[in-house]
Amino acid sequence: MNRVKKVLSSKQIVTLVWVIGLIIVWEIGATVIAQTKRTPEYVLPHISQIVDSVFSDKLVNGSQTATQIVLSNAALTLVRAGIGFIIGSIIGFILALLMNMFLPVEKIAFPYLMMIQMIPILGMAPIILAITKDIDKSRIVIAAILTFYPVATNTLAGFKAVEKAKHELMYSIAAKKKDIYKKLLIPASLPYFFTGLKISAPMAITASILVDTLQGGGGLGCMLSQSLKHAMSIYVFWQIVFFSAIIGILSFYLMSVIEKLVSPYKKVRR
Amino acid sequence: MLRAKKMNVDYSKDLGSDTEELKTGIIIENLSVRFPDKNGGDPVEALQNINLEIKPGEFVSLVGPSGCGKTTLLRTIADLQQPTTGTISIGGLTPREIRLQQKFGIVFQNPVLYEWRTVRRNVCMPMEIMGIPKPERTRRVTQMLELVGLYNFGKMHPHELSGGMQQRVGIARALALRPKILLMDEPFSALDEFTKEKLHLDLQRIWSKTKKTIIFVTHSIQEAVFLSDKVVVLSPHPGRISAVVDINLPRPRGLEIKDTMEFNSLVSKVRNSFEGV
Repeated sequence: MNRVKKVLSSKQIVTLVWVIGLIIVWEIGATVIAQTKRTPEYVLPHISQIVDSVFSDKLVNGSQTATQIVLSNAALTLVRAGIGFIIGSIIGFILALLMNMFLPVEKIAFPYLMMIQMIPILGMAPIILAITKDIDKSRIVIAAILTFYPVATNTLAGFKAVEKAKHELMYSIAAKKKDIYKKLLIPASLPYFFTGLKISAPMAITASILVDTLQGGGGLGCMLSQSLKHAMSIYVFWQIVFFSAIIGILSFYLMSVIEKLVSPYKKVRR
Repeated sequence: MLRAKKMNVDYSKDLGSDTEELKTGIIIENLSVRFPDKNGGDPVEALQNINLEIKPGEFVSLVGPSGCGKTTLLRTIADLQQPTTGTISIGGLTPREIRLQQKFGIVFQNPVLYEWRTVRRNVCMPMEIMGIPKPERTRRVTQMLELVGLYNFGKMHPHELSGGMQQRVGIARALALRPKILLMDEPFSALDEFTKEKLHLDLQRIWSKTKKTIIFVTHSIQEAVFLSDKVVVLSPHPGRISAVVDINLPRPRGLEIKDTMEFNSLVSKVRNSFEGV
């Protein structure tokens, strides 16, 4: 009995239960809708239909299969999201450093950073596009804007969470500011920095897809809206939905993997 | 054979002897420390009119109940706290000058280890900051870990060690600097009695080999009497010195000394020196 309980409460089982639950709910919904609508795949196709479309070699836009369309456009979107994410992370980290080193910077910059965060991305994207006049640059800029804030605030929180005694140890051996950052503050804040990265990695991808929808010319978001407008198979739409979700989750795990590589010590729970 | 050789290593030279250029006697005159009251009331008098002389190479304990200012006194000597009035002179220099010369070694109440560094790299850290060349650092880390009995634990991370072992890492780190003055703030207070007694013997051995000036803060009278040449008794509200008791027990002291009449009469003498508790 206890063993059964233990197995049921393990992390993998919980995940499995969730996935199965979702599939059941999805399929019930799809079955119900299939009986009421003429073109149910626009609303909620069966999962099997989506899976079929992934492996189907039917050309949906004259030259490519649905899967080919998704993958070729994904590269376009993800590379821009990745570049923006890296730029945003660097800016966020430097900003955290500056805010921690100079109190006036924190006092002046922090409220405005928060305000930038509060502008809805849907409102900001066309403005950025109008300024950069280039969809590629806009993707990068938007991804960077969404990335830098979680990274900056989390890293700053990491700097501030360092115990006083650890600072006093540095003070007692007359450590220079450079050494305090190098040997204490930056290593101590790494877990916080990575928390920021884990929050912003899926956000950067979402943002990049969103920016795609603004202009024709490729990218996952662009295909998403085209497939909705009947320009090609609706299964491109469903594939993109699943693909984006999976990539978003993977980006989170990628950050965890990098964190383990960079700071291999096990974090102590206190 | 090899083992015997290791046991006979003379650490006194390597640990830095205090007969060098700097006289590390400490003279404290008319020292007061006041903290502003958080609620806007009268300032709290943490230390009032402290006068104390510590000879070079002396082992001095500061004892007293909580709130007597013993930690504040240690922190003031270490330049972690500024005096309101009065002066501290360490071999003719101010605490700040001594700190900037990197002559202090501090052992904190909780060991304050950097959890992302291994034991070896924790001990190494202050030496990196002092710009000591790498081969020398490696040599000293090995030596210090042998000294505190943690040689086989160098590759572990702090959270994998027991509290007593972590504390010994803190001691090794402070000693690796070869400080002229070792300041210890209740270093053993969180440890069990067995570990504590072992570390008492270790500390006595280290001190007798290195002849450093050691200032040791504790709330345990037994601990203070066992370790020290001189026990400074502090009383609270306001923090002040109510007695200085010389401990003339022979050295090296074994644990059995705690059962002797002399030891216990010195413990009573210290206990009876407290005022207003």
